[in-house]
Amino acid sequence: MFLPRMTEIPPAVEISHLIKDFKTSFKRQPLRAVDDVSIRIMPGEVYGLIGPNGSGKSTTMKALLGLVAPTAGKCAIFGKDSMKVDSRNEVGFLPENPYFYKHLSGEETLKFYGKLCGIKGAKLRDRVKQLLELVDLSGASHRRIGGYSKGMLQRIGLAQALIQEPKLVILDEPTAGVDPVGSREIRDLIFKLREQGITVFLCSHLLEQVQEVCDHVGIIFKGKMIREGKLDDLIAIEDQTELILKDASPELVAEIAALVGKHAGAELISTGKPRTTLERLFLRETLKQESNN
Amino acid sequence: MNPVSTIKAIPGHVSRTSVIARHAFTQLVRMKVFYFLAFFAVILIASNFFNLPQHEGPESAGVNILRSIKSWSLGAMTLFSVVLSIVATALLLPKDVEDRTLYTILAKPVPRLDYLAGKLLGVLLLVFVSLALMDILMVGILQLRTNMVLTDQMAMAEARGWPAADIALLKAEILAQGPTASLQGAVFSVFLRSSIIASMALLISTFSSSTLFTTIISFLIYFIGHFQADARAAYLSGEAGTSDGILARGVTLLVSLVLPDFQLFNVIDSVIEGQVMPLFIVGKLTLIGLFYAIFYILASWFIFAEKEF
Ligand SMILES: Nc1ncnc2c1ncn2[C@@H]1O[C@H](COP(=O)(O)OP(=O)(O)OP(=O)(O)O)[C@@H](O)[C@H]1O
Ligand SMILES: [Mg+2]
Repeated sequence: MFLPRMTEIPPAVEISHLIKDFKTSFKRQPLRAVDDVSIRIMPGEVYGLIGPNGSGKSTTMKALLGLVAPTAGKCAIFGKDSMKVDSRNEVGFLPENPYFYKHLSGEETLKFYGKLCGIKGAKLRDRVKQLLELVDLSGASHRRIGGYSKGMLQRIGLAQALIQEPKLVILDEPTAGVDPVGSREIRDLIFKLREQGITVFLCSHLLEQVQEVCDHVGIIFKGKMIREGKLDDLIAIEDQTELILKDASPELVAEIAALVGKHAGAELISTGKPRTTLERLFLRETLKQESNN
Repeated sequence: MNPVSTIKAIPGHVSRTSVIARHAFTQLVRMKVFYFLAFFAVILIASNFFNLPQHEGPESAGVNILRSIKSWSLGAMTLFSVVLSIVATALLLPKDVEDRTLYTILAKPVPRLDYLAGKLLGVLLLVFVSLALMDILMVGILQLRTNMVLTDQMAMAEARGWPAADIALLKAEILAQGPTASLQGAVFSVFLRSSIIASMALLISTFSSSTLFTTIISFLIYFIGHFQADARAAYLSGEAGTSDGILARGVTLLVSLVLPDFQLFNVIDSVIEGQVMPLFIVGKLTLIGLFYAIFYILASWFIFAEKEF
């Protein structure tokens, strides 16, 4: 069978050497919010961007969506320049602390965004119904957004991002302000998106969840990308081996420690309960940067 | 590998603009702007009793009432349409920026020009619908009143034994004060004027930082626009013959390009007096309205395209 010539699949997200300066009115010196950040996300990947407050996560996402113009560097979505409108055909965005028109009901809000994406008639009605069920807002769909709680806003925002079945979903702190159960539901939703082959680019402060859902992670600090790569590679510590025991008695642990002590060169570093390793990495990397400065 | 999405069709500029326009219209309607129609009805009914002092004979009394109705209603239409177009336009854009709803809209494949045009059209739709409702009210009352005046005056003329030709003249005179096509032209001119003002307010709101600033500057420009022609004429006559003449002409041309001359809309007053508004004037005002609306919206786009949020 004749196969069409393989063209290189464009990455879902291509951010190259992005620099973003903000003019500050008081100081002459502009504020550098993002400093030479490069990110490449291939289709189907789930990428988590983590970093302390004010490190430039949201600004990077906004530049990717063309909401702010890069001072230098380039952003592209599926090979299309972010500053062009057609790059946004295949992307859904949930901004941080989303807010919507308070005079519209939840259902009307989704219809509005659907129409903006060119969905019409019965298709739109079905899609809206489906999404309202997905984010568990069917009961509140006829209430005005003005009366929604924070978590409800977050969920309607998520539904709005998914309205046109985008191939790339950008989520800025999707679980902020959502209760633990809701936050777990959002995590499951991201799993579902991943199964469907949808690329997800998210940032969050909940490192445990980032570790659970993401296959690639970038750590950004004061606008600079300080670590980036596959999650498994990042958190593996090459010269260490982890033994995780279940129902081990203290005597057994002591025995193992003694055994390790008999071998020259080997060393038991710690015993205790396993911790979220991404969290450990995050703290270590940001503290390292802090002490360098 | 990626599932081919089938539910969306890339919409054209027109359909997307109309989605945003209808949304802006709904938003304004749900802000309960139509309550002012009740005020309008009160003004309209009151205008029936505002009798201007009469110097002429009793035969002009009826005509004066008709004028008074037109004058009050067109005045109220002007006031409502100007206030509505400035305040609504000044409100919509900063609200979207402040509430960060703009992020979610511009993150969809929505060109910024479509967004601006949609907002403006939403406001204009609102102004148009309000003017149409006010127009219906005004025409209704005016028609009733014209019929009353007509029967009164005809009875009076016949009682006095006027010749048929004079009676016909009187009848024509009264009908000219009633709901004529020129009156509709005047209402349309009110709409055209408010579209110029709304698009100007849109331009200001793209670079201003607050609704208050936009509102104040827009009203200022509206008032300046009434003196623009006089100022221009005075300036040009003072400069005539000097070497700066060409420069002055250039400056005034530039000013009139940016600042509309609202004295052009004084034809509305002559319609109130019962004069006929020629069709070419309506055409001229339409062209002027279109010119400024397009000019301002392109200028707004120019600024808004560079804006960051
Ligand atoms: N529009 C703006 N004008 C001026 N400075 C800005 C603007 N937007 C962001 N900044 C600055 O850029 C820096 C990065 O902000 P950004 O919102 O990207 O941080 P973040 O990583 O998303 O933080 P958080 O975790 O708190 O959401 C901050 O110092 C912020 O003050
Ligand atoms: Mg942020």
